[in-house]
Amino acid sequence: MERTLIFISTVMSTLTATAQAGRIDYTEFDLDNGLHVIIHEDHTTPIVAVGVMYHVGSKDERPDRRGFAHFFEHLLFEGSEHIDRGEFSKYVEKAGGVLNANTNGDRTYYYEVLPSNQLELGLWLESERMLHAKVDQKGVDTQREVVKEERRQRYENRPYGSILIEVLDRAYNKHPYKWPTIGFMEDLNAASEADYQEFYKRYYVPNNAVLVLAGDMDPKEARRSVEKYFADIPAGAKIERTSVEEPPLEHEIRDVVYDKIQLPAVVQAYRIPAYGTKEYYAVDMLNRLLSQGNSSRLQKNVKDEQGKALMVGAFTLPFEHPGIAIAFAVSNMGVSPEELERAMDAEYARVRDERVGKGELIKLKAQLESELVRENSQVSGIASSLASAYTFLGETAMVNKEIENYLQLTAEDLQAAARKYFDPSRRVVLHYLPQSQKQ
Amino acid sequence: MERSIRCIFRSGRSLTLFVSLISVLSMSAQVDRSKAPRPGKAPEVRIPEHRSFTLANGMRVIVVEDHRRPLVAVQVKFDIEPIRQGELAGFIDLTGELLGAGTTTRSKQQIDEQVDSLGAELFSSPDGVYASCLTRNLPALAEIVADVVLRPTFPEEEFEKARTRALSAVQSRKEDPDGIAREVANVLTYTKGHPYGDVVTETSLEKVMRKHVEGYYKRFFQPKDGYLVFVGDITEKQARDLANKLFGTWTGVPFAGNVDKSGREVVEGLGTVYRAEKKPQVAKMRNVTIVDRPNAPQSVVKVVFPLELHPADPMALSAAVMNTILGGGVFNARLMQNLREDKGYTYGAYSSLRSDRVIGAFSAGASVRTEVTDSAITELMFEIEHLRQSNVGREELELAKNYMAGSFARSLEDPRTVARFALNTFMYELPRDHYNTYLARLDTISADDVRVAAEKYLFPDNADILVVGDKESLAAKLTMLSFDQRLRQLNEDGDIYRESVQAAPDGMTVQMVMDAYFKALGGRAEVEKVRNVRMDMSGSMGGMPFTMTQWNVEPNKYAMEMRSNGTLLQRIATDGAQGVQEGPEGRTEVIEMDLEDMINEAAPFPELHYLDLGYMVKLAGVTRVNDQDAYKVMVLRDNGGAVIDHFSVETGLKLRREEQKASTVGNLKIVTDYKDYRAVNGIQFPHLIVQKGPMELNLVVNEVVVNGGVDPDVYKVDL
Repeated sequence: MERTLIFISTVMSTLTATAQAGRIDYTEFDLDNGLHVIIHEDHTTPIVAVGVMYHVGSKDERPDRRGFAHFFEHLLFEGSEHIDRGEFSKYVEKAGGVLNANTNGDRTYYYEVLPSNQLELGLWLESERMLHAKVDQKGVDTQREVVKEERRQRYENRPYGSILIEVLDRAYNKHPYKWPTIGFMEDLNAASEADYQEFYKRYYVPNNAVLVLAGDMDPKEARRSVEKYFADIPAGAKIERTSVEEPPLEHEIRDVVYDKIQLPAVVQAYRIPAYGTKEYYAVDMLNRLLSQGNSSRLQKNVKDEQGKALMVGAFTLPFEHPGIAIAFAVSNMGVSPEELERAMDAEYARVRDERVGKGELIKLKAQLESELVRENSQVSGIASSLASAYTFLGETAMVNKEIENYLQLTAEDLQAAARKYFDPSRRVVLHYLPQSQKQ
Repeated sequence: MERSIRCIFRSGRSLTLFVSLISVLSMSAQVDRSKAPRPGKAPEVRIPEHRSFTLANGMRVIVVEDHRRPLVAVQVKFDIEPIRQGELAGFIDLTGELLGAGTTTRSKQQIDEQVDSLGAELFSSPDGVYASCLTRNLPALAEIVADVVLRPTFPEEEFEKARTRALSAVQSRKEDPDGIAREVANVLTYTKGHPYGDVVTETSLEKVMRKHVEGYYKRFFQPKDGYLVFVGDITEKQARDLANKLFGTWTGVPFAGNVDKSGREVVEGLGTVYRAEKKPQVAKMRNVTIVDRPNAPQSVVKVVFPLELHPADPMALSAAVMNTILGGGVFNARLMQNLREDKGYTYGAYSSLRSDRVIGAFSAGASVRTEVTDSAITELMFEIEHLRQSNVGREELELAKNYMAGSFARSLEDPRTVARFALNTFMYELPRDHYNTYLARLDTISADDVRVAAEKYLFPDNADILVVGDKESLAAKLTMLSFDQRLRQLNEDGDIYRESVQAAPDGMTVQMVMDAYFKALGGRAEVEKVRNVRMDMSGSMGGMPFTMTQWNVEPNKYAMEMRSNGTLLQRIATDGAQGVQEGPEGRTEVIEMDLEDMINEAAPFPELHYLDLGYMVKLAGVTRVNDQDAYKVMVLRDNGGAVIDHFSVETGLKLRREEQKASTVGNLKIVTDYKDYRAVNGIQFPHLIVQKGPMELNLVVNEVVVNGGVDPDVYKVDL
């Protein structure tokens, strides 16, 4: 007992030191047009990451234009007033860099990682994208096909690929999180020139974006370059965001999905608080307790000891508005989904009924501490962490302070969150079954 | 500034642009947006240092110091020669998984608990263990790593659990198009007799026993083949002390066996072990292979072949540049630009060219929608051939080289890269300055070097083309892409595919199948009353709408006309004696076997006449057609031809006809499905007919007229 106590106090004091070691230093400022800029200096490797996060995602779409935000992301590689179709990526790759982008329900993020002497190139490209992007008909038609193939490859021609689509559709009734970011093809087919203009004018404006630079540069020079390329971009209108209140699920929603699979799977989804709230961190901590590491509860009990699952995982989706937590398990050979679900339910019942022990809590905090040091080891990751903290956690400083939201959680907090949010009478349960079992 | 204004005047651009330019100029930040900014001075790329030394037992230690973060990774890796697992395939992967499943002093649960409590991560694999943790926990974690590597017990209970999971994983893989493509591509590239061509199956896993795992471990985990790698917040001295303390006295199980000239040896617990007996060869000619995934929305396409390229080969770098230009990760690579950015066939198309000490491999491919599968293959093959035929452009070459140089610099951000370089240098016996000279060597590669590499390492005419997709809609088109006009079919494990036809139930005869068919149509007596039938259909082919009318007249007259916007596309007719086929290109007589078949099967229900015609019908078993059980009936014509009909077990109706038709491009298999049966004058007729051959034809039946009479002009034959 005494030994444990000493161990705890050691963990707590070293945590502060580690948090210091994993700390990201940065400077930040705003341009007159509202563009927020964050700069992180790191001379380890002669490279620099340039990222722009626009605060627009699939939840900002019209219900008859589902998938538009992600489609638009594809279109914004097509060029600008000064960059012809196909040239955008050529500039980056010819400079020895890489580029990509991704979209989710809440935001769209574009980035380049370049040799450090090409920082200005990255700024020019991103400023062109923000100021006067341009797309021709060939670009629109081709990218629509490409997105259709992306949907087929990721969601349709892959076992269990439709899980998120099926879960979101049932977990929400009104909120735009109901539809997946990849969207629906009939909506993309219906998109017109006016839609593109409107979306670009409304959301791709400096006052709806954060620009992050991370890597080998002189922050003062970098600031001058940022002003050179971004200061003359006109601000857009203030963005009015309507937030749809989604009432809690009133009962359990249970369904069967037939897929091209041999092993059945069980999916459970619970509605949870928004990313950044205190209770969000409690739910995320519970999910770590359930499935992070081989000694976590679902891994150890359901997968290893009872041999019920081939794989199991519990995930928290960090959505800006109240999101969901998902548990997903694939049955081991010969195990029915009912049997697997009972084994999973037992673990969820345990977190509701029993307080998490001290030992487990210490283990979770040790894992968090390592994770803090392990992540953000590359400038590209640092850039996106900074952009997310600024966009979703209220201030950039949260990039270093977020860990405290986890560390201050007590066993009581966790149990309260489990009771409140892991409620079996308000959840979505899907059984994925082989198509051959369909009558 | 002045220059840009002059430029505007000279090009005579519109006034509005001029005005907007003035307004930009009047602002404090003046920038010429029309051109990409010039880069500054190129930064110097330096590879951080590493240290290495050898322990008394022959184990080599590599240390890369990086004190930016309080984090250390420790890795043990064994350089094990590949051996063939054959019918025991799976024991090597299981060895990897079970390394972390119990030691002489720790149970699996204890290992997991301790690793997680340290906030560490630990992964075991068939050639060792990788782990990482915060600096202060290294002594504890390194001790666990050593325990796992040196004293595993492979507990029977954990072995059984791991094997069950492996069996589940095999089942799961068989429904994953990418997983299937990966395994079958390996079989096509290396063949099943080679270590790299081993496929783990249910059958092989059933045979694997704990003793195989233990035998493999004892024989191949030897200190002289081992590397111990430390990366991160650690000094050379600390690494040396830990290495000596934990691994210094380890001897392994001394190897007492004998490897014969062909690489065979007997290993305790494992039996005879085979190495690569001969090198996999490229295919004799371009083959096409399908793994059938009925109704798949996409096809996974791969073009593969083996190649001989050692990592230390001086040509390895020009081969890598060549592959980058073709499809090696750059967005501007030819495959990506052609198949995605120009054609919109796919989300991404890539190629890889792998050098290897035993045998290397090439692979190029993409996931494409089913309809464009053959076009995508044509483009893939075009790009591969094109690289052999002409030099790449200067700009393209520069882009690829710059990209590779940039990737090299970026990779150094992770200190593990330095350790990987050191490991590769030892394992592949690379020159000591191999990585230090990388950028300089890359710089010298010319367009000629790239073409020479393409000529030496790309074999488009000897490639295996693999498609994991919907066979029914693809078979005819794919057949034409192989050199021998054959489509091979393999199953998910890369074995020869055998159609799963089950024996018909006892007592079931072909006569009963035919009786059930007539009964389902509306009764034999009713069917016999049908003297003539006209069917009006419509459909579209390649986006072009057309109409089709067909007349069947008892006992031997037939006509078909296909029109688009009034224009005749095709007419086929027989008056029972002669036959004709006509279209926009003119008119030809139908003769010999084709004429016989047309006359014999001209009647509305030719099945009524099979006996009189001397046709033989045979019940070949029960198979699946469009998710229904179906009796498979072989119809053997008196002239030696044959077709296969399928009748629903449940309803009795005809579901499908399969036949081979000779054509100028070889034999084509035509599959016709009959759907949406509806009654006309009390008799069931299909109202949707889907024909799959070189093109897919969907025919919607708009009207069926029974015994409405037929004008003899309709089937008149004018020659």
